Amino acid sequence: MAQYVKKDDDRDEEEYSPFLGIEKGAVLQEARVFNDPQLDSRRCSQVITKLLYLLNQGETFTKVEATEVFFSVTKLFQSKDIGLRRMVYLIIKELSPSSDEVIIVTSSLMKDMNSKTDVYRANAIRVLCRITDGTLLTQIERYLKQAIVDKNPVVASAALVSGIHLLQTNPEIVKRWSNEVQEAVQSRAALVQFHALALLHQIRQNDRLAVSKLVTSLTRGTVRSPLAQCLLIRYTSQVIRESSMNNQSGDRPFYDYLEGCLRHKAEMVIFEAARAITELNGVTSRELTPAITVLQLFLSSSKPVLRFAAVRTLNKVAMTHPMAVTSCNIDMESLISDQNRSIATLAITTLLKTGNESGVDRLMKQITNFMSDIADEFKIVVVDAIRSLCLKFPLKYRSLMNFLSNILREEGGFEYKKAIVDSIVILIRDIPDAKESGLLHLCEFIEDCEFTYLSTQILHFLGVEGPKTSDPSKYIRYIYNRVILENATVRASAVSTLAKFGAVVDSLKPRIFVLLRRCLYDNDDEVRDRATLYLNTLGGDGSVVETDKDVKDFLFGSLDIPLANLEASLKNYEPTEEPFDISSVPKEVKSQPLAEKKTAGKKPTALGAPPAGPTSTVDAYEKLLSSIPEFSSFGKLFKSSTPVELTEAETEYAVNVVKHIFDKHVVFQYNCTNTIPEQLLENVVVVVDASEAEEFAEVATMPLKSLPYDTPGQTFVAFEKPEGVPAVGRFSNVLKFLVKEVDPSTGEAEEDGVEDEYQLEDSEIVAADYMLKVGVSNFRNAWESLGPDFERIDEYGLGPRESLSEAVNAVINLLGMQPCEGTEVVAANSRSHSCLLSGVYMGNVKVLVRLSFGVDSSKEVAMKLAVRSEEESVSDAIHEIVAN
Amino acid sequence: MLLAVLIANSEGNILVERFNGVPGEERLHWRSFLVKLGADNLKGVKNEELCVACHKSVYIVYTVLGHVSIYLVGKDEYDELALSEAIFVVTSAIKDVCGKPPTERLFLDKYGRICLCLDEIVWKGLLENTDKDRIKRLIRLKPPTDF
Repeated sequence: MAQYVKKDDDRDEEEYSPFLGIEKGAVLQEARVFNDPQLDSRRCSQVITKLLYLLNQGETFTKVEATEVFFSVTKLFQSKDIGLRRMVYLIIKELSPSSDEVIIVTSSLMKDMNSKTDVYRANAIRVLCRITDGTLLTQIERYLKQAIVDKNPVVASAALVSGIHLLQTNPEIVKRWSNEVQEAVQSRAALVQFHALALLHQIRQNDRLAVSKLVTSLTRGTVRSPLAQCLLIRYTSQVIRESSMNNQSGDRPFYDYLEGCLRHKAEMVIFEAARAITELNGVTSRELTPAITVLQLFLSSSKPVLRFAAVRTLNKVAMTHPMAVTSCNIDMESLISDQNRSIATLAITTLLKTGNESGVDRLMKQITNFMSDIADEFKIVVVDAIRSLCLKFPLKYRSLMNFLSNILREEGGFEYKKAIVDSIVILIRDIPDAKESGLLHLCEFIEDCEFTYLSTQILHFLGVEGPKTSDPSKYIRYIYNRVILENATVRASAVSTLAKFGAVVDSLKPRIFVLLRRCLYDNDDEVRDRATLYLNTLGGDGSVVETDKDVKDFLFGSLDIPLANLEASLKNYEPTEEPFDISSVPKEVKSQPLAEKKTAGKKPTALGAPPAGPTSTVDAYEKLLSSIPEFSSFGKLFKSSTPVELTEAETEYAVNVVKHIFDKHVVFQYNCTNTIPEQLLENVVVVVDASEAEEFAEVATMPLKSLPYDTPGQTFVAFEKPEGVPAVGRFSNVLKFLVKEVDPSTGEAEEDGVEDEYQLEDSEIVAADYMLKVGVSNFRNAWESLGPDFERIDEYGLGPRESLSEAVNAVINLLGMQPCEGTEVVAANSRSHSCLLSGVYMGNVKVLVRLSFGVDSSKEVAMKLAVRSEEESVSDAIHEIVAN
Repeated sequence: MLLAVLIANSEGNILVERFNGVPGEERLHWRSFLVKLGADNLKGVKNEELCVACHKSVYIVYTVLGHVSIYLVGKDEYDELALSEAIFVVTSAIKDVCGKPPTERLFLDKYGRICLCLDEIVWKGLLENTDKDRIKRLIRLKPPTDF
């Protein structure tokens, strides 16, 4: 190197850096040596190295600087020095010159591309393909096609990898090379085959038949590199996925190939095959076993990468087939103490999914030790897994809730604490027995909580749930402590919570008044205002009290207007004599963010949503529907389904439907998204044909005025149906709209539009739509307490089934009830199974179901169905659903 | 896609940083994330012993070689196993160029060569060459011997 600068005189020679004090300006100056008539190759190489060092450190060159360096670099093609030439190839790629500058090197590169020296050719191809545009590409296409089938593997690979990159920018040109690429797939050179296979698949990925042919021929032939083998396994899974629909015979095509790959000598191939098998649609336990066995072996590998890969795959399998993974539990438990925290966390979350009820306590003990030394991001994963475990085994809520409260007391960041609090809140909602202890844990937490957001959310939740407990007075101390000790935001929340207790619990009212009066002297406006307001509303200041119902509506009711609209109206309000009128705020929901689509199907987020109903999404929907005058008379919303997609993924318009069930009505909420930036849709409606749903009569349609690009909106169609009857039917849907062209540069739409329509999938109302999934914490107690008065028992033959597990799932889905105590999971190879279900049927009638299944050698499944409910007619209705 | 190849010295200063398909504004985040990952986990790790992590849907395989630490980040088909194949190629090429597990000084002395090796191994996020002997010849523009 040219001049080494010393970092520190005292240090050993090792410490000198050849690049110490390197400075862009100086290096650019040095680059002038490229223009010397007598080139010093060694010095030029050094300068290029410095340029590379700068670029690799994230330094950028301005357009002028890059151009100047690029032009100088091109002079170096005159040098015959091989080492320098190699550096020149690299630096040109790194400088990525603009298309108007490229011309200066193309002739040199074209010359190299036809050079007799193969390695010049390979490099020239790579550089040309990196800097080329479409017009130049057509000129060199001929050479590239030759290069693909060149006998030198370096040249062939260079051309093939170039092809993979060029496919993104110039697909129509690269697609013309498929014959050559096809030939290269048969190459004896391992890497050429790998690159050719990747390119050929990309060229033909939309041609199912061609991919299938490719897979068939290669799975029979020889694949030379493990990398190519992995690709082939991936493409094979794709073919299996697409063909399984048509396959009637029962044997899965290519399974033998995948299974054979489990015995390959490269670990990479074994894993790829094992993953492919575990991800097969409707994989049977017989198919799974060999894959699980090899993965189990890797759990005790000495290499962390292999352990990680194994536990990651098993973790995924555990989500769908927990029973299949139980055989690995012992190996998995030893991974809890793995040095690598990713491995340990994956092991724990897998164990939490596959463990049985009796092992929960032991597992929790192990996890407690582990939690203290992992990062928050891992802890959040564990907390989420524990929450699901608790919902699965509600009887174990005590130890799980204790665990959560213990970790809540320890150090941790906001996201982690929020995850714990959310979990406790969800458990309180779903497991009634856990309510009192859970609320106390939350109370203790806010005594020493550094996060204002969490404190206010918990106070809000406490205000709703606390007054309904057996002894509400014990929470008052915790709440009032907040008024004394916390910041203004928390104090204001505490005042609201106190008021809620006062409104609901009459015996506490006088004491609440005393506390609220003390808040009148708070030094924060908001706290004082709230205290005054609530004292006035509750009658604590001796004034005439409003009716009890009004008070509760005021304290607990929602605003009934979208917050965004309220915010906008308040911003527009100019301070005048005239007070702000809340009724002037529009109630129409303009558009809901995309997030709604993603979260709607999941568990409700704990604290954010209002807590009243069994599921909080229902509340959000209820609010939305009641804000629409046409639907406000429909009464109480019984159930809202999860969104059902009516379009395939990645179509022009994405539409899903949420079915809202009322006593006498059904409302279809169509959530529409326009994915074309150049279009604006107006007057969007869904025209529904209900000819296959005889009991339904359309009563109202709410069109969507405007549907701009990527801003989801809703349109509604309402039907009347006979009261209290679980009517079923099929509805065909067509999306109709006025489409207007949008200028992408200005975002403005044209004045005139064209009417158009778009066929959607059919939607259905089925029996399960009239059932709410509501779990019970102790099925046996619940069953006994319902009593045998309205018990109905009958037996049914379900005919030949693919497996027992499939039959169990089919019945669960048919009834739409909540499986209890993990009984939805069928043990592998078992001949009989019992399943417990719970739910609330239309009309708010509690229903419990006991299912006993048996399967014979010819896969005929028989089922005994025992139903208990609060009403005889409902028990009968459940049997009718199954009988039909 | 092989999203990043990053090589740092033992203090966490970047020596080589090559990103593919990672937006400019995310690079700094990745750099600090990887360096922290190494600081937390690479103490006491033997030369070429692989460590692994995942962050959302992205995989990271990293190791120590002499006084430098090497990180590879990938997603989709470049999962932990493909990355460990790639990192094996990178470490063997560096050892080959330096003659031994390098000190920082030796690494910087051979900087140009190492850049050429990386250029042969990874090309815009795709693994191109995996054989160290071939790479050794290719960076000197010598034809491969094995065909």
